[in-house]
Amino acid sequence: MTAYATSPDEQNDRYGSGLAGAIVLHALLFAGIIGWAIYQHTHTDRWGENASTTGAIEASMVSAIPLPSKVPPVKDNVLTPDTPSIAPTPPPKEATQPPPKDTDVLVKANTPKPITKTASIPTPAPPKHAQPTPDTAKATTGEQATQIPESISQVPNGTSSITVQNRTFGARYAYYLEGVGRTIAHNWFTQEADPRSSIGKHAKIIFDIQQDGTPANIRIETPSGSTTLDSSALHALQRVEGFGPLPAGNRITVEDTFDYHQ
Amino acid sequence: MPSSGKRIWFAGLTSLAVLCLSLSTAHAQDPFQIHQQTGADRIRIAVADFKPQSNTPTTGTYKHAFDTTLFNDLNSAGIFDIVSKDMLPQSTPGFPAEINLSQWSAAPTNAAMVAFGNLSVQGSNLIVNGFLDDAHNTQYPQVFTKQYTQEASDDNARQIAHQFADEIIFRLGGGISGIAETKIYYVKILGTDKEIYEMDYDGANQHALTHLGETSLSPRISPDNSRLAFSVLGTRGWSIKMFSLLLNRTVEFPSATGGDISPAWSPSGQQLAFASSRTGEYQIWISGADGKLSHKITSFSGGNSSPTWNPKTGAQIAWISGRTGLPQLYTMDADGSGVQRLTDGGYASSPSWSPNGQFVAFAWDRKYGPGAPGGQDIYVMEIATKKWIQLTHDGGRCDFPSWSPDGRHIVYANSSDGRANHTRIMSMLADGTQKTALTGAGADMPNWSWK
Repeated sequence: MTAYATSPDEQNDRYGSGLAGAIVLHALLFAGIIGWAIYQHTHTDRWGENASTTGAIEASMVSAIPLPSKVPPVKDNVLTPDTPSIAPTPPPKEATQPPPKDTDVLVKANTPKPITKTASIPTPAPPKHAQPTPDTAKATTGEQATQIPESISQVPNGTSSITVQNRTFGARYAYYLEGVGRTIAHNWFTQEADPRSSIGKHAKIIFDIQQDGTPANIRIETPSGSTTLDSSALHALQRVEGFGPLPAGNRITVEDTFDYHQ
Repeated sequence: MPSSGKRIWFAGLTSLAVLCLSLSTAHAQDPFQIHQQTGADRIRIAVADFKPQSNTPTTGTYKHAFDTTLFNDLNSAGIFDIVSKDMLPQSTPGFPAEINLSQWSAAPTNAAMVAFGNLSVQGSNLIVNGFLDDAHNTQYPQVFTKQYTQEASDDNARQIAHQFADEIIFRLGGGISGIAETKIYYVKILGTDKEIYEMDYDGANQHALTHLGETSLSPRISPDNSRLAFSVLGTRGWSIKMFSLLLNRTVEFPSATGGDISPAWSPSGQQLAFASSRTGEYQIWISGADGKLSHKITSFSGGNSSPTWNPKTGAQIAWISGRTGLPQLYTMDADGSGVQRLTDGGYASSPSWSPNGQFVAFAWDRKYGPGAPGGQDIYVMEIATKKWIQLTHDGGRCDFPSWSPDGRHIVYANSSDGRANHTRIMSMLADGTQKTALTGAGADMPNWSWK
């Protein structure tokens, strides 16, 4: 019975010293392994770093590699005989009747030649004032690529380009659209767009400008795929109170492409 | 070996701590990053000298007044990059047929817009034809054309130039009217007396409005430019007086016992906010434009003054209150509810709310106290975000900012050596650039008209 601990202290201490010894031993063991590994890692040379060259494979450049010679051509190749085959003769031409001689045809002696009078058409003088270009019919495809933007504004990390659907207006009141583009660019804070998701993308916003110059019906025509870029473009237009009254017309529809780049 | 491992652990912990520290400092620096929104370029505009069409001796003087005024108006508008007169082509076009726009759009002029025209004196009238052309639009160059006819005088030549400049700014500036025809009201220091004066926005045409022989302060013009409210130190203390610009005399305005100071018009012109001590401490009161039906909207100890309305909505008031010690800037709804503090310390005074309702300009001494660095300067704060920028630096004491109606300019009082009688009125763009003195010494408390 003396082998068993009787008092609670002895019971508690039954494995105490052994366990502590084991933990210390393991800790020392692990510390030793890690320390040895770190020591080896930091204090010994890396593989091949300081090794002498004797016994190593030496490589030297050669100018050419002696490749095996090519296979000699087969002389008696049945597929390509030396003598060319006989070309087929063209079919014989059909015998044609000779054309009738001039004397054979009866010609009326005094046939009056028809007189062709041509009145001289006066070339129209070029217009004194510049003429408006007619509104060309819309193409069904490829239109986006062909339309040149009326106004392009550069901001930090972005380009805002404006196109107006009414091209006559765009040509006549270019200065107004320049102002629209400038106002939007002033109000577009590219910091609102997350650069990680917005770089290289563009959002297209479409809106109307009413007669008094206030923007209306602001909506996203083509989302960019980056929600922050979309909302920064929308915010740019929502910040605008007005572009100034329209110089002509009751309303124009404008597309604005917000390009985000670095 | 264990010692080596311990060293490595220590090194690892140290590097981790350094990394955390650097991350936290990077995070702490974020609010101080300056995001400069340069926006799009300004419009490059060339202003040709106008072509005289008559040979009377006065034509030359009118033409000089006109050309100078037009150039200065466009230069100070804040939306143009104006071409120096040295870079203009040699020709002086007087009519659209005489202008060769390719000359003006090419280097070195590089103008996007060209303002030109002619000027003549016929009988007693001065006739000016002004044209604005888009130099890049070869197909339809003309933006607009205007004819002005007025009685021939130097003042009218300047007036026509102001009108033409305003028209150009209106067409090209996104529909915001120019300020060339606006006025600035201010206090002129005349020895011991202070009278209310009026001048054009560029400092020209300074003349007296009141002749009370008393101390008149804080002029505030009504939104319709018909009446001027100001505070006067009379025998019975401070009171608010009303000056009619239509009748050119002071008109009846009731005064209560106790001081009434710093009036402010509501944007409708129907109400007047002011500070009054009729119940003891200075509180903000609102009355009708005739001074009747006055009621108190604040009840804070420590003094309340300098109300200014939100000109956009007419529903909020910014004012200065000393309820927490030093005067600070606050906003509230016009019924006294929804009080918010905007400044976090220092000594704030004389707020002015921007016409678009977005900003408030005010004078601020951020480190107030004996021996504190810095001084009183003009600041602008965005109400929604409480972000502010400092507009004046190292120019001496600045006070009493007032917004121009286009929201692009701020007029303020500046005393380079801090002495009151050396105060002059300066104007600048709302970003703090293009500071110019409008008056000499002895002018204070400017107030820009509403239109």
